[in-house]
Amino acid sequence: MISPGTLLNQEWYGSPQGREVLATLLHKSQQRRKTFGLLEKPMIGVHCPTDEVKYKVFLVGKSGVGKTSTVAKISGNAVPTAHSETPGIQTTTVYWAGQVKQLNKVIMFSLQFWDAGESATKKYDHILPACVAQTDCIIFLFSFVDRSSFEDVSQLITKMTTPKDTTCKIVIGTKFDQHAHSEITQRDIRDFEQNWKIPILKIRNVPDTEGRNHTNETSQILCVLCEHLWHRDIIMAGRSPSTDDLKDKQNFV
Amino acid sequence: MISVVVVFFYYIFSRRITIEPTCIVQTKIKTFLILKLILQLPFPVIGSLNGVHMFGSSHGVSLQSTTTDDAKIVWKVFHESITLIAVSQDDDADDCHMNNLLNLIASALVLLCGIDEVSNIKNVERFKKEVKVCMQLVDRILESPETSGFSQLTNAVDIICAPENAILQNFLDAFAEAAESGFGCLFVERKVCVATKKWWSMSANELVLLNLLLTSLTPCSSRDIPVFLPDTQPAIPHRLMTFELTRNIEVCVICGPSPSLAELEPEVVRFWKPAYDSLRTVGRLSPRNFPTNIALDHNLLGFLLVNKETNRCLHSVNPSLEDPSHLGETLSIHQRKEVLKTFYKKMVGNFFASSVSGSEMGPAEFSHQPMESYITTETHKCYTLQSGPYQIFTLYTDSIPTYAMRSVTQRTLSYLTKDKNVSV
Repeated sequence: MISPGTLLNQEWYGSPQGREVLATLLHKSQQRRKTFGLLEKPMIGVHCPTDEVKYKVFLVGKSGVGKTSTVAKISGNAVPTAHSETPGIQTTTVYWAGQVKQLNKVIMFSLQFWDAGESATKKYDHILPACVAQTDCIIFLFSFVDRSSFEDVSQLITKMTTPKDTTCKIVIGTKFDQHAHSEITQRDIRDFEQNWKIPILKIRNVPDTEGRNHTNETSQILCVLCEHLWHRDIIMAGRSPSTDDLKDKQNFV
Repeated sequence: MISVVVVFFYYIFSRRITIEPTCIVQTKIKTFLILKLILQLPFPVIGSLNGVHMFGSSHGVSLQSTTTDDAKIVWKVFHESITLIAVSQDDDADDCHMNNLLNLIASALVLLCGIDEVSNIKNVERFKKEVKVCMQLVDRILESPETSGFSQLTNAVDIICAPENAILQNFLDAFAEAAESGFGCLFVERKVCVATKKWWSMSANELVLLNLLLTSLTPCSSRDIPVFLPDTQPAIPHRLMTFELTRNIEVCVICGPSPSLAELEPEVVRFWKPAYDSLRTVGRLSPRNFPTNIALDHNLLGFLLVNKETNRCLHSVNPSLEDPSHLGETLSIHQRKEVLKTFYKKMVGNFFASSVSGSEMGPAEFSHQPMESYITTETHKCYTLQSGPYQIFTLYTDSIPTYAMRSVTQRTLSYLTKDKNVSV
């Protein structure tokens, strides 16, 4: 497990360049993230060259745990007010920038979140393979108010990945706003993180009331996610410099 | 003017299985409606609503609808396995409108679950889980008339007519071919901009449902959703793939097993990048929805134009594209929509036959065929006329002289139907 700030420069976000890049990703009020259609990309000035890296991130978790809401929250879309089963697959592209310390270079992370409804996955054979194929990261979700969803996470990890698997793994606990009703203790979380060496992040999928705080919260999640993905690339590049993409990255390092 | 608050409630049961009235109510539909309904319709009432219908059917009588002092109740059985019961405020309209909504809801279940699941319910608990995927779509169908489009009311799909449509048609046809699919459609701000020939060959129900489905789901970059076409191929799952090109503009195709979502996505940028500017221009035309070169009478607050043959409808409640905050004394955008909808409901089924199934029963009782009608109130006036496949419903300010409405409406219809950029 890497601690935040080892690979990405946290102070960069407060620097003039960092702010300028972030301004292309957020609405003017800085309260909501901009959404981009497939034909669009963040417009960054020529004086700040960035490299774009793409990652596929697949979300896994018990039905109703908040996969769709989490993606909506992170991407800046309106969080659904009531639960409903997702029919089939939904993908959402989110852009996030970060300065890599070793390279002293700004990287634009393009994260494509894949979210599939549980019953569709069971009913149709093509859905799960499509989601799992060439995925860079799997996010396991559980709900703070549902103990069984937390227990499911360990099972899902063993089911979805093998020990030698290089897929990046992250766990997110949803419904953290209902902290008072939490069925999961701090101790559970500490034990889990030590056991699996996988970080647990927390998210509150409520319509934003505090504005700025809201983007801060999702920004932290995106930072951790990007840092882990970058870390994985470095390890992968060291192990098997086979594809061109990875060769490039190794050269950087 | 009448304010239409539609309160809906429906539940599903299979004749052989114990009634499960909480089946859908507990999940959603607008929260305040449910609360109101649970208070108004306790379990015994729901039980008797179901009981009276079942009692009739066991004696060979089919109970279709009834009205109380302020409410209307409609029953309908689908595929001999599910019964939908709708309760709404009595709006004095013909039953065909409520039946139309129930038809759409039943087709929505087939669209996302398939006919086998709906017509052959083996385990009601499993079925309740199964229909959860339809909730957002059903909510959209029952959406309040202020915010919804006209699709679910007219059973004809909302369209947007822009001068760029001709160019975009070429882009769409090429993209659909690349996706190995005949079915392709481009949606702009919840309305059909262009679609392939095969897409238009679908039934009215299917056209409307697919439109509503896309707008009911959480916004995202792309989707791959298993769908069944309720009228043409209700047992075969297809893959509906959608791609968000830019905000509120989505292109979608219906495919077989290939290509996969990951394969098709890179093609989207390749095929649609050159069309980006045209797409943005069309997006800016909403909510006017018709080309800016057509100048309509300044008294006109809004209109609804339906073609019953092509199953398309064009509406505009903001024909001058004025800023909604500067409307002054006239009706707000939401009120205009509501008034037009109420007026439509009053006319169709009572005087006009339209694309809504069952709407021909009322007009058939006359010895003649009504062609035009109007109402005047203190705040606004409405006029309607039918000509060939077209029916136009117009809404004016109260300052228009009543005698002028007829000719202005005729002129409006002719401007809209004769323009080469408008294909309703």
